[in-house]
Amino acid sequence: MSRPLVVAALVAFAVLGLAPVLVMVARVAPHDLAGVFGQRSMALLGRTALLGGGAAAVALVVGLPYGFLVARTDVPGARTWRALGVLPILLPPLVIAMSWAGMTSLRGGLATTAVLGLCTFPLVALYAARAFERIDARQEEAALLAGGLRGVLRVELPLVMPSALFAACFAFVLAINDFAVPDYVSSIGPKWNVYADEVFASWRSSQSTGPAVAAALPLVFLTALALWPALELRRRNHLASFSSDFRRPGTLRLGAWRWPALVLVLAVLCVAAITPLGRLVFEAGGGTRGFSLAHMQAAFARALELGRSNLQSSLLFAAGAALIAVPIGLVLGHALERSGRAGRWLAAVALVPIAVPAILFGIGGIAVWNRPQTGVVYDSGWMAVLLFAGRFLPFAVLAFSAAVAMLDPRIEESARLAGARPARRLLWIVTPALLPAVFGSALLVFVLSMRELDATILVPAANSSVLFRLYNAVHFGRDDFVAALALLVVFFVVAPGLLWTFFARRRLEVLP
Amino acid sequence: MTSPAPRPRVPRSCLALGLGLLAACSGEPDLILYCSLDQGFSEPLILRFEQETGLDVRTEFDIEANKNVGLAMRIREEAKSRPRCDVFWSNECAQTVALAEDGLLAAYDSPSAREIPETFRDPQRRWTGFAARARVYIVNTTLADPAEIKTMWDLFDPRWRGKVAMARPLAGMTNTHMTALYLTLGEAEGRRYVETAAKLAADGGLNLATGNAHVMRLVREGQAAFGWTDTDDYNVARLEGYPVAAVYPDRDGVGTLLIPNTVSIQKSAPRPEAARRFVDWVLRPEIEAELAQSRGAQIPVRASVPRPAHVVDATGFTAMKVDWHAVGQSVQKRTAEFQELFLK
Repeated sequence: MSRPLVVAALVAFAVLGLAPVLVMVARVAPHDLAGVFGQRSMALLGRTALLGGGAAAVALVVGLPYGFLVARTDVPGARTWRALGVLPILLPPLVIAMSWAGMTSLRGGLATTAVLGLCTFPLVALYAARAFERIDARQEEAALLAGGLRGVLRVELPLVMPSALFAACFAFVLAINDFAVPDYVSSIGPKWNVYADEVFASWRSSQSTGPAVAAALPLVFLTALALWPALELRRRNHLASFSSDFRRPGTLRLGAWRWPALVLVLAVLCVAAITPLGRLVFEAGGGTRGFSLAHMQAAFARALELGRSNLQSSLLFAAGAALIAVPIGLVLGHALERSGRAGRWLAAVALVPIAVPAILFGIGGIAVWNRPQTGVVYDSGWMAVLLFAGRFLPFAVLAFSAAVAMLDPRIEESARLAGARPARRLLWIVTPALLPAVFGSALLVFVLSMRELDATILVPAANSSVLFRLYNAVHFGRDDFVAALALLVVFFVVAPGLLWTFFARRRLEVLP
Repeated sequence: MTSPAPRPRVPRSCLALGLGLLAACSGEPDLILYCSLDQGFSEPLILRFEQETGLDVRTEFDIEANKNVGLAMRIREEAKSRPRCDVFWSNECAQTVALAEDGLLAAYDSPSAREIPETFRDPQRRWTGFAARARVYIVNTTLADPAEIKTMWDLFDPRWRGKVAMARPLAGMTNTHMTALYLTLGEAEGRRYVETAAKLAADGGLNLATGNAHVMRLVREGQAAFGWTDTDDYNVARLEGYPVAAVYPDRDGVGTLLIPNTVSIQKSAPRPEAARRFVDWVLRPEIEAELAQSRGAQIPVRASVPRPAHVVDATGFTAMKVDWHAVGQSVQKRTAEFQELFLK
């Protein structure tokens, strides 16, 4: 890889992803740390760890069989359920929580854990599905002959488990950083507070940023604690890689279990995605006060009329972030995979932007960019683009790194021997071979940017984003408008991935 | 023989995207306004100001989830390097007073504010209050008789255990409300009220909602019999036909808290002349009357301003006497205490 290219990508990553974090951490004075590790905050942190562990366990228990069934078996409609299984991770967790809290009397810690587990199960399902597909057919046939389907599972589960655990670590991270779901789900009955509440409350109560950043540090520590084993699993190459003589396994026949398996898959999908979406459709049509198609049509017309420019802005910001993140991610992901020991450090550093609370990252962005020299950028839509790109670059880097790991290094070596320079090799050899990963990581950054609010909430550009309008409309009980606009957002978030899944010949490579 | 590889070209879509983003960065406006009043109410008024004055206003709103703290936080952060806000139109008072205390606001005695009572104005004229919201109980009339709910302490009546609600007082109007109680009731009584609420919330006797709008939803849907909210939230439920009533508590006691919108000019405002024009415009009695007519049913602080029948006047309730300067000074300390009590 070209050294100047890597240095340029590293500088871009440092400016976009690291500078906002470092600027904020530098503001913490030693006296700001007093009280951060007090009895009350440690109790909150303990409960938060419990929530994260519980949610990760739910994600594992639901995601592992789901991934197996849709990726490897003859369950009817497996391809469709596999694509739709991603939906829960694309929906805001609060939407899922609100749907279920509105329809049932589920409240408190267990309900919060279940909701966050269901929101994050697609991570485990996606990784498990990929791992199950990378088991060599010869190995599987031997297990099948020796012990049938049960024998296959006995042999394959230990091979798939590292991938599933890797994803469960990310489920843990997402769960412990969520404060809206615990707050909402425990609004009836005894309050069930978590540490993310403490972080958000500290931002609102402190008029200087030092104590607020200090309050976030225990959560950052807990996040790092979860990401460390994930990185270790990745580094030791436990995430289901395959050799050059790999033989793809065939579809496993479930026999009489085919239909019960379909029921299981549909039940999971219904609970985690279809019911919340159905609830939004119901609300858009007038909800409990009288559902009608005419009402729904009017709600969508109004959402399009008032939200069109906001949708355009958000699409523009998200597409801009994806375009910036892809080339940087490609260079750094390639460097991470091909540079041995240095790559290990790069992987750890690459996770910094997502290891800190979004609001800390956003205020860091103001501190970095709101200067006389960069004021034009700060005042414009570019600010949102740069913040999104910086915040979600880690996913692009890891997705490319995973894709590069599957690329035979001999291809690049041949090109090098033929006289192709590093930049040319990257552009004309590596990039075409990684096309599904290029689209996949662009899509990942696009989707995450479309549904992100907290990181940009304080910068001027956020004002024109669709989530901004959506959250403001929530306040004044315009439930039909909110539901219609939320469904439009979900459509734009989901559409590109579904189109690729159903119409492209090659599978999307999106997993970091 | 091999043909030369084509030169990489910048895709047209990238150019279009860049141009789109550049378009988002329009020219320098005549005024930058930070506004935390609901976008639906304030946006039409600001458009009218633009039409009447010919000034180009760039308005940046806060969202409800930030409970007004977001813009105050941004003003503080921007003031460190490059102040850009001219006018801050806040939907409450405590954050504005805190900004004034930090020396971030400029003094301006607007001629439009002459009739506004002194209790809603900063003695040093760094901010002016107008168009208030009241802190009321929203009551579901199928579950409770509003006539039976008279004082703030009714929230803790054992017969309503588990059927009452309030927002966690860590931000927004509830935070300002609880802070004001310490000053109005006195340290000991104020603390007793807040500690009782926290204790009840811990064992499920009092439901803690995510915000005042959520309290309104819980009550209108019958999940709670009554709870603390703001008059604008109550009015939304009333307009939509839910069986709700508003109780202005403590008529014979400390009274009901009125929290005004506030408007202020930033000390380092890059466009001070336009800022003063906007403040003069927004403080006119006609604007207060329009805000009273709106879905938010804001309560005019000037007795002379006309209002619809559903918006109370001075005869409809007893207004709590509040020293806003003291509220602004103590809000940070109290919030830290509330954090200790409610985040366990």
